[in-house]
Amino acid sequence: MRVLIVEDDETIAAFVAKGLREAGFAVDHSPDGREGLDMAIAGAYDAAIVDVMLPGLDGRALVEALRRRGVRTPVLILSARHSVDDRVRGLQAGGDDYMVKPFAFAELLARIQALVRRATGAPEATRLAVGDLEMDLLTREVRRGGTKIDLRPREQALLEHLMRNAGKVVSKTMILSHVYNYAFDPGTNVVDVLVHRLREKIDRDFEPKLLQTARGMGYVLRAS
Amino acid sequence: MSSARPEPGARLPGAFGLRLGLWYAGLFVTSGLALVLLTYALLASALAQRDRDLVLSALQQYVAQYRRSGLDAVREAVASDRMAGRHEGLFVRVLGPRAEALFASVPSSWVGLDLRSLVPPGSEAEPGWTLLPGPGAVFEVASARLEDGTLFQVGKSTEVRSDILLRFRRAAALLFLSSLVFAVAGGVLITRSALAPLRRLNAVLGGIVRTGQVSGRVSVRGDGDPLDDLSRLFNGMLDRIEALIAGLRGSLDNVAHDLRTPLARLRAVLEGALREGADAEALRRSLCAAVEEADRVSSTLTTLMDISEAENGAMALRRERLDAREPLRESVDLYEDVAEEKGIPLEIEVPEGLAVSADRARLRQALANLVDNALKYTPRGGRVRLSARTEGAWVVFECADDGPGISPEDLPRIWDRLYRGDQSRSERGLGLGLSLVRAIARAHGGEATVESSPGRGAAFRLRIPARITDL
Repeated sequence: MRVLIVEDDETIAAFVAKGLREAGFAVDHSPDGREGLDMAIAGAYDAAIVDVMLPGLDGRALVEALRRRGVRTPVLILSARHSVDDRVRGLQAGGDDYMVKPFAFAELLARIQALVRRATGAPEATRLAVGDLEMDLLTREVRRGGTKIDLRPREQALLEHLMRNAGKVVSKTMILSHVYNYAFDPGTNVVDVLVHRLREKIDRDFEPKLLQTARGMGYVLRAS
Repeated sequence: MSSARPEPGARLPGAFGLRLGLWYAGLFVTSGLALVLLTYALLASALAQRDRDLVLSALQQYVAQYRRSGLDAVREAVASDRMAGRHEGLFVRVLGPRAEALFASVPSSWVGLDLRSLVPPGSEAEPGWTLLPGPGAVFEVASARLEDGTLFQVGKSTEVRSDILLRFRRAAALLFLSSLVFAVAGGVLITRSALAPLRRLNAVLGGIVRTGQVSGRVSVRGDGDPLDDLSRLFNGMLDRIEALIAGLRGSLDNVAHDLRTPLARLRAVLEGALREGADAEALRRSLCAAVEEADRVSSTLTTLMDISEAENGAMALRRERLDAREPLRESVDLYEDVAEEKGIPLEIEVPEGLAVSADRARLRQALANLVDNALKYTPRGGRVRLSARTEGAWVVFECADDGPGISPEDLPRIWDRLYRGDQSRSERGLGLGLSLVRAIARAHGGEATVESSPGRGAAFRLRIPARITDL
């Protein structure tokens, strides 16, 4: 899997590139919009991460030019602006997803993986498994080591999201948006409470503990 | 560059004033002239009619006399008329059928005229008129031929009439000239007084452009005159601009203040980690804390931007018709687990089919903030009730708790940014929530209010117009 990063801020570019390489991606980087466009056209990338404010050619124009040439590489647009209109303009230009800076790397990774999965059309699994924890996506049944576990709908949604991203850190923002469809910071820690309840059900009576807290970043479901 | 340009608007009153003055003077003079000309025409025709009536009545009188008593009687009548001062200056001539003069009475001014040409056609019933141009005046003669061929002629000089008209013309010219002076002077005065508000406006505007200070105001008389209205509107606009500038400055101050606190914490965490040394686990803990603080800065900034967008009308609201139950249910959804943890039941009470027109995400955000606030302050075992109802054109959402309530001195300040009542210092969270709630309500054209007293809980209300057309 190859990803192109077009971002003029060296710190952010290096941070993202390092993280993606660790996740198994091959990464190219360009700090300039025009050069980035040429690279995106020439190279066969599975996904591209494009900043909006770029020297040479701004990110939206880059994506537009790319789409005009018929290049269908999924693009995630990065911006420091958070207004709804800005998001809509980015998507209208031909972007596939949109993220606002600052962002958690875990979320960026999850989104890039989702874009690649969508583009390659990988078949949907009907069963998820992490260690001895299993979820049947058709019957919604959850078992751990053969014991059936009853989950509330929200707990089920959280668990599904964690299992789909097994081994990867899932941030609170991602959980709010996936489980509650809520895009704002709710002040009180709604997510902590939900995670606590889920942990009570899937981990309290079992070993090893699967649901771990990655302090400052989020939560991760890991078999080891 | 800007100094090379003429003072903005400085030329306008001059050119405009001149045009206004000229229009006024032109109109004044034209109407005066029309009046004089009309009067003159009426006077001239009235005088001419009077002369002709006089001539005709004398002619008829002499002809009647001739018929009754012959030519001698006419001669006597003319003589006696002249003696009596009647018909003085009238020319009277009687010609026989072969144009021989039978009688003539010629006033002195007629001497020297060629009277031979005065033999026009004309019957008694319809006397013919002949004009005889002479020195200094025109002579009008009416002629009537009788059945026996006798021609009666009576004439009158227009000298007196011309004299009267000449005097009138002189007087009119004098009047016209003086009215011209009045018109110009009046035009200048009226223009000056009419344009005075405009000049004041220009002076204030010029001052604002030069100095950038919007504190200047135009004096207003309050007499409802359009220019006075303009001044009033202009002042209103300046008030708005000043308020906006103050608002911008204020929000910039707020942003600086609100961000400085978490940034200071972030710095303290990082500096502490640097000082503590190389214990890997301690460094890790510090870094985690630093990430959390950075997230807090980011979230505070987002909330501040939301508040200022909502307050200055830049928030893009996607209003749609919603069942009022939905945003309430969604807010409860978000906090259900938290409420259960704290042992506080969350109740919803909404009448069936209550519709509201609002931005779904923003309304939910506002309600969620109210629920969050209520859960924070309500002790274990308390209750939080969410409800919605119509009040005229409004839908009123309410979030009521039976917590400790808010003291009267805190009530007006709870909407301020980062304000937290004393007892809540230990609670985590930013004091931006209620500011955002109010800003979202106002962006919808509504309002957020609170009713509370110590020990009796608090009821926060969100008034949103039921329909967009009610805005």
